Amino acid sequence: MTMEVKPGRDMAVASRSRMALIRGEDLAAIVVFALLAVIPFVVSGYAVYILPQYMLLGVLAMSLAILWGYAGIVSFGQAAFFAIGAYALGLIMKYATLPVNVAYVGILAGMIGAALIAMIIGYFLFSAGVRSAYFVVATLALSIIVEQTVKSFSTITGGWNGLYVDRMTLTLGPFLEMSLFDDVPMYFTVLAVVIVAYLSVMTVMRSSFGKILVGVRENEDRMLALGFNVPAYKTLAFGLSGLLAGLAGALYATHASFAHPSNAGVLFSTQVVIWTAIGGRRSLLGAFAGAIIVASLSNALSAIKAIQNYWPLIQGLIFIAVIVLFREGLAGLIETIFRKRHHGRAT
Amino acid sequence: MAVLLSTEHLTKRFRGLLANEDLSFTLAKGEVRCIIGPNGAGKTTFISMISGHLEPTAGRIWFRDQEITRYSVPRRAQIGIGRKFQTPSVFEGLSAFENLELASMRRAARSTQERKRAVDSILDTIRLSDRRDMPAQFLSHGQRQWLEIGLLLANEVELLLLDEPTAGMTAEETDATGKLVRHLASDRNLSVIIIEHDINFIRELNAPITVLHLGRMLCEGTFEEIAEDERVREVYLGTAAHA
Repeated sequence: MTMEVKPGRDMAVASRSRMALIRGEDLAAIVVFALLAVIPFVVSGYAVYILPQYMLLGVLAMSLAILWGYAGIVSFGQAAFFAIGAYALGLIMKYATLPVNVAYVGILAGMIGAALIAMIIGYFLFSAGVRSAYFVVATLALSIIVEQTVKSFSTITGGWNGLYVDRMTLTLGPFLEMSLFDDVPMYFTVLAVVIVAYLSVMTVMRSSFGKILVGVRENEDRMLALGFNVPAYKTLAFGLSGLLAGLAGALYATHASFAHPSNAGVLFSTQVVIWTAIGGRRSLLGAFAGAIIVASLSNALSAIKAIQNYWPLIQGLIFIAVIVLFREGLAGLIETIFRKRHHGRAT
Repeated sequence: MAVLLSTEHLTKRFRGLLANEDLSFTLAKGEVRCIIGPNGAGKTTFISMISGHLEPTAGRIWFRDQEITRYSVPRRAQIGIGRKFQTPSVFEGLSAFENLELASMRRAARSTQERKRAVDSILDTIRLSDRRDMPAQFLSHGQRQWLEIGLLLANEVELLLLDEPTAGMTAEETDATGKLVRHLASDRNLSVIIIEHDINFIRELNAPITVLHLGRMLCEGTFEEIAEDERVREVYLGTAAHA
């Protein structure tokens, strides 16, 4: 007899394959989104104001999970795409007069612009076979380039002072408009967009496209030897990631009424990596929740003077702990707990 | 018989080392061919030039009616050349089923059901039906070898390049591998080039043999012819000639 898997608990973990990713994620998603939908009815004030921003940071984390969790590509350039979305909307709302809703055009321009830039950069890097750490360095440079560009064109972008962005108005039909100036309509609009974005990305990731990305992550050389055009798939994944980050950035800018060069910065990009790792890079929902949880904690703890100074240090330690101990983050941890309990009941 | 693959004066030089020299080789459609030779004979180098993992220093490669000498690895896979590596290269974290499903995705299936059926039939062929949902990393070495052959089948290749497919297999598994290779050629009309060291396996396979030695082609023939050849006995079968 050759090597066999030990029976028992190991087997339960072992028999779980990577392609399935987080099972039961659908149920968890319903719980998370239902919870977010109920919050404005229960609390009011600051939480209702700030949560949509955190949800959009969650979408940004999801944009990294597509790359890191599925395709195995780490990017420190997510902030760059976020800022492209933010400034595209801000600048178009400020300077353009159009017969249609300028905010819609701005959001679309931000998404498409970010996706195109991602795909152009991705095409050259992936075709040249740039992988792992070298790709990380290239994406770090991208963050710096976008940040510096925004700072340099200060007459248009406001430079280091940032750019004021109006709260957008929803156009729901030829005669029906709704201002998102108030926080509650804004909250539900952002939540609706986030849910649609999550479902769309989930659908794409469950299609053969997503499975092919997992193949690239698991064994890129095997994929090439099976005739898959790996650089093209990676380029598309990077484009989709840019599209999502651009959407998050545009909505964030109109929600915060502000776009700032630091939205593109390396520091912010690093934050995205931390949220995604803590939440669970293999799970879109995990990354989304990771961003909301860590951002909320940051906010809550910064009010406490004693902890405030140590918070970046604490975050760093949590990040290291996740990388070393729970490679699949919170989502992976929760899944393991449920699996063990379920397995315990079954036997 | 129609020629599927041919090489003309194929040569590979690594700095000072001449790994392959002037190899002119033809393989017919539906043919199984064994390549044998002592360590360092240049067997894997030869396979690597056919799969596109190494670029020849000189010479040309033809597949069907196209010259493919400068084709990339993915492009060769797309026209039907599949390679099983010496160390099994599968998707470790994915189940046997998912491995094959993924390999089949290069071509569009009419429906998910159809793809599933095709994959299950391949699982049956490679004797992994009872390991369908087990991640590849928990399969035995021999099973991973089969899974990698299955990847090539799911990928619908026409020529399989098998680099030591029976390494790490039990006698019973080796036997099953021989049957599998014969099935591929006779029932599926696929062509196979096998690099092997296991003399019993080669004898059982009863396929034409090409002997390489120090990068050059020493001779070609049936197992009996090769076994009788003085030069082969000298360089390769010398110690195993009594077997």
